[in-house]
Amino acid sequence: MKISFIRRERASRTAMLVAPVAAFACAIVASVVLFTLLGKAPGQALYSLLLEPFLTWYNFSEVLLKMAPLLLIAQGLAIGFRANVFNIGAEGQLIIGAIAASALPVWYPQGDSAFMLPAMLLMGAGAGMAWAGIAALFRTRFNANEILVTLMLSLIAAQVLNYLLLGPWKDPHGFNFPQSVMFPDAALLPILLPGTRVNISLLFALIASVLASILMRHRFAGFQLLVGGLAPRAARYAGFSEARAIWVSLLLGGLAAGLAGAAEVAGPLGQLQRSVSTGYGYSAIIVAYLGGLNPWGIVISAFVMSVIYIGGDNAMVSADLPIAAVWVFQGLLLCFYLAGLTFIRHRVSFIRKAKP
Amino acid sequence: MTQTRRSFLKSTLAASTALALPIPAFAQDAVLNVALIVPSPAADVGWSHTLELGTKALEAEYGDKIKVTLLENIAEGPDGDRIMNKTVADGNTFLILGSFGYMNGGLKLAKAHPEVSILHASGYQTAPNFSPFGARYYQGTYLMGMAAASLSKSKKLGCVGAFAIPELITSINAFTLGAQSVDPAIEVSVVWVNSWFDPASEQEAAKALLSQGCDVVFSNAQDTPSVVAACEEAGAFVFNLNSSMKTYAPKKYLGVVGTDWAPYFKASVAAHLAGTFAGASAWLGMADNCVFVADWNPDIAPDMVAKIEAVHATLLDGSFSPFTGPLTNQDGAEAVAAGVTLGDDAILSMDWHVKGVTTPLPK
Repeated sequence: MKISFIRRERASRTAMLVAPVAAFACAIVASVVLFTLLGKAPGQALYSLLLEPFLTWYNFSEVLLKMAPLLLIAQGLAIGFRANVFNIGAEGQLIIGAIAASALPVWYPQGDSAFMLPAMLLMGAGAGMAWAGIAALFRTRFNANEILVTLMLSLIAAQVLNYLLLGPWKDPHGFNFPQSVMFPDAALLPILLPGTRVNISLLFALIASVLASILMRHRFAGFQLLVGGLAPRAARYAGFSEARAIWVSLLLGGLAAGLAGAAEVAGPLGQLQRSVSTGYGYSAIIVAYLGGLNPWGIVISAFVMSVIYIGGDNAMVSADLPIAAVWVFQGLLLCFYLAGLTFIRHRVSFIRKAKP
Repeated sequence: MTQTRRSFLKSTLAASTALALPIPAFAQDAVLNVALIVPSPAADVGWSHTLELGTKALEAEYGDKIKVTLLENIAEGPDGDRIMNKTVADGNTFLILGSFGYMNGGLKLAKAHPEVSILHASGYQTAPNFSPFGARYYQGTYLMGMAAASLSKSKKLGCVGAFAIPELITSINAFTLGAQSVDPAIEVSVVWVNSWFDPASEQEAAKALLSQGCDVVFSNAQDTPSVVAACEEAGAFVFNLNSSMKTYAPKKYLGVVGTDWAPYFKASVAAHLAGTFAGASAWLGMADNCVFVADWNPDIAPDMVAKIEAVHATLLDGSFSPFTGPLTNQDGAEAVAAGVTLGDDAILSMDWHVKGVTTPLPK
């Protein structure tokens, strides 16, 4: 007997809504078993994982802080993913964006010009775009796979960062430690919510979400992109360009990631350092797909992922959970949700082998 | 700080209900909540593991009067800052930050919470309730250098280093000087992997050194046994820092430059409880019962062991420092004049290699 998954013509709307809830329930049941086996109180663990992020203003603000870069990058990536252009290297574009934005405060550590911050953000976004543009050039000129090129460019970006921090951009009073000077106030993003670390980069992410939804839903350009990526030949007959889809996808993805990088150094970090990103560029890929590549779905998935991250940190501190258990919980949640999505989009059919 | 707060509470005990002081405040004062935050997994070996052993000693001493929360694999930067804040919000009043990268966040936290005492590994900033601490690994690596030179046939030694920061540079320089004290012709090659925890590149780096002919390798500040295991496999002697990895190289393990944080942690917690905690740089060596050498390889000749023990004794009583002139730097220029011994400040900010280290420092 053969089991095969056949794509449904139309996914049920009810099932689409039930799937995340069911996935959530399954993940909770599985983790209660896991936590109990570990000898930890499951109630306390789940409380700090899922409820605590909402219970105090500080915790909730940290969720929003985490959400800003994830959301911004995921919106940029989703434009490409919808057009079948797979930019896997947002992490590298973020790092290059952070580096470019840091150039000004590193060169002018006493700077107090009002133009410094806008210039940093522009430089960050531009550098992210340029970095992703390399992959677009390779793809359109030499037909090099953009998945590989963007991924490898991320490794190069990390080494550029190392080089600068261990060499020319090292804090001269920092005892050779790999980090830049602390940025002056003029190089820091204004705080959006007083008393928290949430800065105006959250607004950038929300504006990006609105723009992404306009681009994909209401504009001919969005349609051209979609067709250009999904069916290059059909696009060519219709006079749309595949190369254009690739360029636009990668440049916008790079722009978003570069801006996110600039906002990290000008935001909670306040300096350029090695851990400029804790994998936002990679997590954003998950966020984009969890959100169904839909701009509003991505807003929700970025929020949920941030809650899980902050909750995971809380669970380590308050519920004495080892980090591996936190990761298992996060993994369970994703696995159940993706499994659910598979069943929504496909129906399972059991095909008996035809007798010879 | 805790002391004053406690006496304040006692003196206003009658008024406390009127003030609606939360009951848990008393419970928290009775039990000291300690948080240890480390950047890598606190595995069975390595840096984070030795810090964890230090907190285990605290638990052994204070029993149920202390509660230690271990937070491992915490990224430096905004995540680390948040988790530190959370530990304090949860009532931890004694923090041990196990990595340099936690410095800025930890310092901010210390200023905002004068009642909290913080120990911070390998930094250089100090505040009244914020003490940087580190180990004088160079004392142990000097002895390892002596042993390495006596065992090396190729006269080429190697080192896999995490980051080119002073702490690691001094260890390599002392290792080189120790080796040259036995055989002046010794040369040392260094590969920097730019990570505290990256088993794959550490192993690659070790293999690169071995293929260049290095027959003794120094695994400098790796939290994994990857370098040690690779050397055992290739038949090269190897040693590392912090905790013994002899089980990963039963035949070729040269020894360990170990660290024991228990005495320092105990003294700091006692000071915190007594309200006398004062932020000060603690750079601990053999005389402080922090740095030690152990698990020497039996292949080291008995007369060499005697020589090492003699130098060990002078390091212990402080009559000898490896960084005593004349010392020449990599470019052949005089770095330390004859008869001059480098002070702690000069050692703590060392950004040059001694002659004999063939790899230039990343600039």
